[in-house]
Amino acid sequence: MSIIQFRGVSKHFDELRVLDEVDLSIEQGEVVVLIGPSGSGKSTLLRCINGLEQITGGDLRVDDISVLAGNARLREIRQEAGMVFQQFNLFPQLTALQNVAFGPRHVRGKSRREAEEIGLELLDKVGLKERAHHYPAELSGGQQQRVAIARALAVRPKVMLFDEPTSALDPELKQEVLNVMRNLAEEGMTMVVVTHEMAFARQVGSRLIFMEHGKIAVDGDPCEMLCNPTNPRLKDFLRHVH
Amino acid sequence: MNTDWSVITGFLPELLDGAEMTLYITLVGLAGGMAVGVVAGLMRAYGHWTLNYVAMAYIELIRGTPIVVQVMFLYFALPVLASIRIDPLTAAMIAIVVNAGAYIAEIVRGALQSISRGLAEAGLALGLPRWKVLVYIVGPLAFRRLIPPLGNQCIVSLKDTSLFIVIGVSELTRTGQEIMAANFRAVEIWTAIAAIYLIMTGTLTLLLRVIERRLRIL
Repeated sequence: MSIIQFRGVSKHFDELRVLDEVDLSIEQGEVVVLIGPSGSGKSTLLRCINGLEQITGGDLRVDDISVLAGNARLREIRQEAGMVFQQFNLFPQLTALQNVAFGPRHVRGKSRREAEEIGLELLDKVGLKERAHHYPAELSGGQQQRVAIARALAVRPKVMLFDEPTSALDPELKQEVLNVMRNLAEEGMTMVVVTHEMAFARQVGSRLIFMEHGKIAVDGDPCEMLCNPTNPRLKDFLRHVH
Repeated sequence: MNTDWSVITGFLPELLDGAEMTLYITLVGLAGGMAVGVVAGLMRAYGHWTLNYVAMAYIELIRGTPIVVQVMFLYFALPVLASIRIDPLTAAMIAIVVNAGAYIAEIVRGALQSISRGLAEAGLALGLPRWKVLVYIVGPLAFRRLIPPLGNQCIVSLKDTSLFIVIGVSELTRTGQEIMAANFRAVEIWTAIAAIYLIMTGTLTLLLRVIERRLRIL
């Protein structure tokens, strides 16, 4: 059974059709990279998976729970699908450790001590154990995004959703975030990544999806799609990205 | 000009009694006003549209009418309309609760809505229910932004109590007026009253500065 299953999913903002009857199945262990011009619906597609955007047509199931099954079930989905945002969105009043321990403590109901142990373990995983007691404002953008990844992982999700995780970072800081994501992929984490990093897509992605006008235009192997693009629109898009 | 500052000392106990009454009305009124304001502000920020409209109607009604009219209504019109008789002190306190509540509601709404949507989304994305996002994330951040405008409202409400002279509450301004009516020492008495108000508002300002320094504004 697919971990994420889109069946004829549409999303309309009033008249604007952002997703147009999308069908898509994502299996456990896949690293799916979503690319496409701005406004093509890739971020919306990602945000529909954990219900930050509500779908207006079709059905979307995560771990066989429908996003339309009500608030309680939606919270279960969100615990299974961690999200990393372009703007990091760390809680500014909490230290790095408190940010990471937040999910275990308030979502999974762990004791303060257990939550801190999980927090330290995950900060160590993203290489920031020594920054545990710093506040977000005292960290670089790359460090903040690594803490944000640790925070999402701390809830122990089955899937990780990345919404342009390196787009707000200076070029020299992108790599440290991409490395953390690469390690995560190597451990077998199921990932859905919206990005403009074509090198990452080619090296780490197991599947590449090119979106256009709210539809999946091309869906295939990253190397083939990037090295020998046959779709003229994809060709055109890649010329503009490089 | 013939002034004699020593007359103040003689009337000081009376003036201090008036100041005590002013403080009492202000504190009770603001405590109630904050409770009303938080509820109305939450209704404005997160309420279903009916709750939102109820809160909006309340805020517009109160902000759109002078506090003197409000307290006159409570004290003189309510007995006629609904046979509810209240003493001047109660009317004064209710007036502050209702009046400050409306302004504080907008302060609370503004503070809540100033917190980046992304932070609430980050909380929701972790799987938190909405109320926990409010209590653990948005609330604590909004509280810090609440302090400066809330301090403003405290000072305004304290000074507004002087308007209750119109229903005969023996707060500081009324007390001064009565002393004045007997001895015509306008310069000395009104100077003393202004100084006492300044001491009270100054203390409030200092208090707020301490609180602000303790809480880093984020």
